[in-house]
Amino acid sequence: MFALAVRSYYSLMRACSSPEKICAQAKELGYEGVAFTDLNSFSGMWDFLAACKKYTLHPLIGAEVSDLHKASSLYCLVRNPTGYANLCKLITKRKTHRNFSLLQESAKLASGLTFLSSSLSDLQVLHKNGRIIAANLGNRPTEQGSTLRRWAKQNSIPAVATTGAVMATEQEQELYQLLRAIATNSNFVPTVSGKNKTVCWLDSPENMREHFSVWPEVLPATDQLARTCTFREPQSSLIMPPWEKAVAGAAATLREAAYTGACKRYGNDLSEAVVERLQYELKVIDAMGFSSYFLVVRDIIHYDSKDSNKPDRRICGRGSGAASLVAYCLAITNVCPLKHDLYFERFLNPGRSDAPDIDVDFAWDERDAILDRVLTEYKQHAAMVCSIIRFQPRMAIRETAKAFGLPAGEIKQFCRLQRSPKGTQNMTAPWPQIIDFASQLINIPRHISVHPGGVVITPDPISEHVPVEFAAKGVPVIQWDKDNAEKGGLVKIDLLGNRSLGVIRDAIAAIEQSGSSFEEEYWQPEEDAQTQAAIANGKTMGCFYIESPAMRLLQQKAKRGDFEQLVLQSSIIRPAANEFIREYVRRLHGGSWQHLHPKLKDVLDETYGIMVYQEDVARVAVALAGFSHAEADGLRKVISKKDKILRLRDYRLQFERGCQQNGIKKEIREQVWQMMMSFDGYSFCKAHSASYAKVSYQAAYLKTHHPAEFMAAVISNQGGFYSTFAYVSEIKRMGLQLLAPCVNRSQISWQGKGKEIRIGFFSIKGLSAATMERIIQKREHKYYTSTLDFLQRVHPHRDESRALIQAGAMDGVSQGKKKGELFWELAQFHCLAKLQQTSSLFAMHLPPVPDLQPDTPVDALRQEYQALGFLCNAHPLQLIHIHTKGMTRAHTISGKAGKHITFAGWLITGKLVSTKTGEVMKFLTFEDETGIVETVFFPKVYRRYAGILTTGNAYILQGMVEEEFGVETLTVERVEKITARPAT
Amino acid sequence: MQDRSIIHLNITDFAVAVERICDTSLKNHPIIIALQHASRALVYDMSEEAYGDGVRKGMKLSVARRHCRQAQILDPRIALYRKAMTALVKQVDTYTPMVEPGTEDGHLFLDVTGTHRLFGPAPDIAWQLRKKVLRGIGLDPVWSVASNKLVAKVASRMVRPLGEYIVGTGEEDAFLAPLPLSLLPGLQQDEIKMLRSFNLQRIGELAMLSRQQLLVPFPKRGAYLYDASRGRDLSPVLQKRCAQHSITAEYAFAEDTVKYNDLKNGISNMVQKVARELRRQHLLCRRVMIILHYSDGRSAQRQALHKKGTDNNFQLHSLCLTALARAWKRRIRIRCCTLACDRLTPKSVQQTLFTMQSKQERQQQKIMTALDAVHARFGSKSMQLGAVS
Repeated sequence: MFALAVRSYYSLMRACSSPEKICAQAKELGYEGVAFTDLNSFSGMWDFLAACKKYTLHPLIGAEVSDLHKASSLYCLVRNPTGYANLCKLITKRKTHRNFSLLQESAKLASGLTFLSSSLSDLQVLHKNGRIIAANLGNRPTEQGSTLRRWAKQNSIPAVATTGAVMATEQEQELYQLLRAIATNSNFVPTVSGKNKTVCWLDSPENMREHFSVWPEVLPATDQLARTCTFREPQSSLIMPPWEKAVAGAAATLREAAYTGACKRYGNDLSEAVVERLQYELKVIDAMGFSSYFLVVRDIIHYDSKDSNKPDRRICGRGSGAASLVAYCLAITNVCPLKHDLYFERFLNPGRSDAPDIDVDFAWDERDAILDRVLTEYKQHAAMVCSIIRFQPRMAIRETAKAFGLPAGEIKQFCRLQRSPKGTQNMTAPWPQIIDFASQLINIPRHISVHPGGVVITPDPISEHVPVEFAAKGVPVIQWDKDNAEKGGLVKIDLLGNRSLGVIRDAIAAIEQSGSSFEEEYWQPEEDAQTQAAIANGKTMGCFYIESPAMRLLQQKAKRGDFEQLVLQSSIIRPAANEFIREYVRRLHGGSWQHLHPKLKDVLDETYGIMVYQEDVARVAVALAGFSHAEADGLRKVISKKDKILRLRDYRLQFERGCQQNGIKKEIREQVWQMMMSFDGYSFCKAHSASYAKVSYQAAYLKTHHPAEFMAAVISNQGGFYSTFAYVSEIKRMGLQLLAPCVNRSQISWQGKGKEIRIGFFSIKGLSAATMERIIQKREHKYYTSTLDFLQRVHPHRDESRALIQAGAMDGVSQGKKKGELFWELAQFHCLAKLQQTSSLFAMHLPPVPDLQPDTPVDALRQEYQALGFLCNAHPLQLIHIHTKGMTRAHTISGKAGKHITFAGWLITGKLVSTKTGEVMKFLTFEDETGIVETVFFPKVYRRYAGILTTGNAYILQGMVEEEFGVETLTVERVEKITARPAT
Repeated sequence: MQDRSIIHLNITDFAVAVERICDTSLKNHPIIIALQHASRALVYDMSEEAYGDGVRKGMKLSVARRHCRQAQILDPRIALYRKAMTALVKQVDTYTPMVEPGTEDGHLFLDVTGTHRLFGPAPDIAWQLRKKVLRGIGLDPVWSVASNKLVAKVASRMVRPLGEYIVGTGEEDAFLAPLPLSLLPGLQQDEIKMLRSFNLQRIGELAMLSRQQLLVPFPKRGAYLYDASRGRDLSPVLQKRCAQHSITAEYAFAEDTVKYNDLKNGISNMVQKVARELRRQHLLCRRVMIILHYSDGRSAQRQALHKKGTDNNFQLHSLCLTALARAWKRRIRIRCCTLACDRLTPKSVQQTLFTMQSKQERQQQKIMTALDAVHARFGSKSMQLGAVS
């Protein structure tokens, strides 16, 4: 028997069981097959198909499509591939058309579909149009069903039974009620019995037979109808983006473009290695049908430059795609795979069944325009990939508690307490009940969101492959997330935003604007000795990917600035690899070591016997345990997944077995496995690290040779690792002159030239974009000459004028007036401006300002800090009158290893980490006027002081200076907060 | 014009002081009073110890907690503070009818002008008042005497948490001149900020500016600032207004609830009490108000009207449910519910010539009369109206 009309939790808040649970229950109850009909959604189709396969059930693909304006819906069952495409289109229309009419559209897209309805009028309309229909009698005989059955009989139409289930078992009724309460923003009141008769669950075939014993023909008709739906699964072969711009075809065009690009990269006389690699790659790409994919990506990136002489767009092709020489020749990536020995098979190999993707970074402010253009150019054929947002523990607790009617403050307090293991003990009512319900909510999908950059493009309309809807921000998204899109054969292109590309672009533009020439075409920053020295000394604050305290410390310890080491370092810095980092530095400095097993010699030689790159996992599995390349790639992928425990168990067994066969000792096996597990969370392949390292070198080069232009671009592009405050301190330490903002000289962004950096208007808090533009526009022909002149021409809001005065931006037009006097003039201006609204015959003259007290230096600095968040020519620590005698300054900390010191510092950033025992500790970065001090707060000390440690405050720290590989850090023992803040 | 004598009494941290009387174990321990379960709880009041650690009124509770981690947090009990305030007024109103109490904040102004012959000079009265209040309700007020409310209040601020200050007539401007601007009452935060931006820090510096000059940056408040900076204040001591007449009942749920039936039961309970009281006083109510007090301290109030007025349980109940439907718009659990009947009119004793009531109303009337008779004889719990769900 078949269970028709079953919803899974992919009906988004309208059902509560997973496809897996429903299939398990259906199998247990003895169903032969299940028809999944999620409400206007195909998001759960692949999960459902996998579950049906697991429990050997016949899958029937379908959906319940609801009307947009009426409370009616149709169950649509797919009979063949045409029906599948039609149902995708029908759901797309339901989701995207404002005037969607269910009956009209379903009549148009009826081919290959069987419609089930419990509405007699709808059935009559569909029957009149000659569609294949069945009367839906529900899960038991009713009076309405009786009418339907009679009508069906008269018209020789099957009348069928449907379960209408929104949950797998009866026990989930309260969970369903809770979901509905969350969805409708109402209260959830648990019933005493826990039962609610208005919702349906998956009833057993016996019960169905008993209910329908009065209408014996119904169940056989149901099964007969189900058997007519023979469509089992949409085709899952790879669907490549279309490229039909040349007669020669994609493969030939790609070959030509690759060779042209190669000549541009390597000169006309191509070496044998290049030709050989190109030939090999082109062969594999062609065999796997990826030629059009490469060309489409190239066109997306270099759209603007293809018909003009403009230089190529600044991008960073990353991920495994960077290992391809073809991609390098097409200017999709920037790192030469031959020079850096990048492993092409990690990206494409004939044995790989899944679809690899190419990730491309654009400057953060150019990305949206590119995405818009792709979605417009490939309209109806392109959409973004969705990400399905599910209930996570904290969200589940919060939403359940809200449905229980608990106030926000109590929920917040509970969630905070929950972080500590003792927090949830002795919970008072109704919290135990809330936790119980919340734990059932976890992992249930809540809504659909947009993947950060994944786009899929199909040759035929995308809505024939998968339903499309619009995300909140207006872009079309498919109803599959990236994993499901991969199962459906859709190849994703990741178009992402990257701030550092904007930084490099702006810095180079500023250099060129100042009259210097900058030859980008042959720019090899990684070969510049000064840049290498700066990287080796960790002087990389502001440089992409290598500016975090952890990375700078590693650079200082490694004392190496060559490209290969930076690629390695930016890969080894990952959450679970701390012990390997220390070992790497030791080995780098000549510490003795040997491979865990001689078989690893070829694999891990360049990484000092440590697994650093993602592909190392696969290569080690191949070398030690005899995995095939495909299996090893599977293991690599599983390690980085969140729900890996079950799947990893099988791989572990296979690994053990393989190693035993190769005679690998148990302790070696264990050590290798643990090293593999350090790739948990995120990790990179070498090609990706090399791509990033290239950008890092470009940034470091600019910082070394054009510091003012570079630092101005770092702050102007925002979003760096540190706050503007910290970058300003770095600017001062670099010996650059920071110039206060000025209404006559500043631009919106920061401007660097030579040894000077002028603060931009956007750093003045409270200044609107319109006012900034007006200031610049109105001074185009004539500079402002006085406060009155400025106010009359620009008309800023009163608060904006105040901020300009506080930041010192009016000093240039103040004619030597005090800040107090400027504020007074501002008040006079607004008072007179109001009067002039009624009588404006005469020009405005400000009366003389009364004799006001002079500005105190401290007060002026306070105002500056308030308006800018930093000080141009001082450090806030100077404002706080603390007794610093006997305290160590940041620049004198070296050489004090093993000594106890006291240090007064300003907290600029921090990173929370877990110890092996699960305790929380923190690495915090402090600075004073002279330098930066990295500190370690071990769990006990951190627990004691966590409450008072917040960024942007001053502290007195006491602790022991420790040294490792020539780098000093402070292990803090005591902390005292300095309470007088500069901006109060 | 006769020189005025104004006494200002101020119980420092009034809410904390009241809480400490109720629970002596709170003494010498930092206290913060704030609604702990509100989504964005603000500090209602704090003890001197917490003030010393940087906690201020109106500060976010999360920030206050960080300033004073050892502080005990208590929920505000407004009704209790109101009661304490009434007791405080009772202690002092024998000296002068001109008493102006603040809103449950421990501030009292007394105008004792012309009472010299009765009770002696104003400082003596203030001294006696302090002793009386301390003896009577256990609260120790700061007191000050001045020629107007403004100067008296500044003087109190000078000496808090304990002490007294007397500002002689004619010494006002000299007294105020060296004081920081923040001590001047009635100044908004943005006004203080603006004055500071003109490099004005002390009241004396403000007093140097002419009225004309002050009207430029402060067109509306310039005149007040001019007078205040010179210690001039002619505002009278205002007596407390009488409360409007209404009949109220309150129902606190055993456990905070979101169940409709719980609320319905609570309302039935309150309606019985209120209707009985209306009939006892021969009054009709033309407006019922339902006030819902949520767990997070917020409340919602809605009303329903009856044109002619009623004392009928059934009609009142129906009106209450209408008001409840209007008031209950949030998901948060409800802690207690108040029913207030006002717009009360006397019930006409004379019967109408022609019966205007429906049959159902007449039956209900009979039940009410019978029920009142039973209640009068056997107590209100002897018989209750039931409901069929």
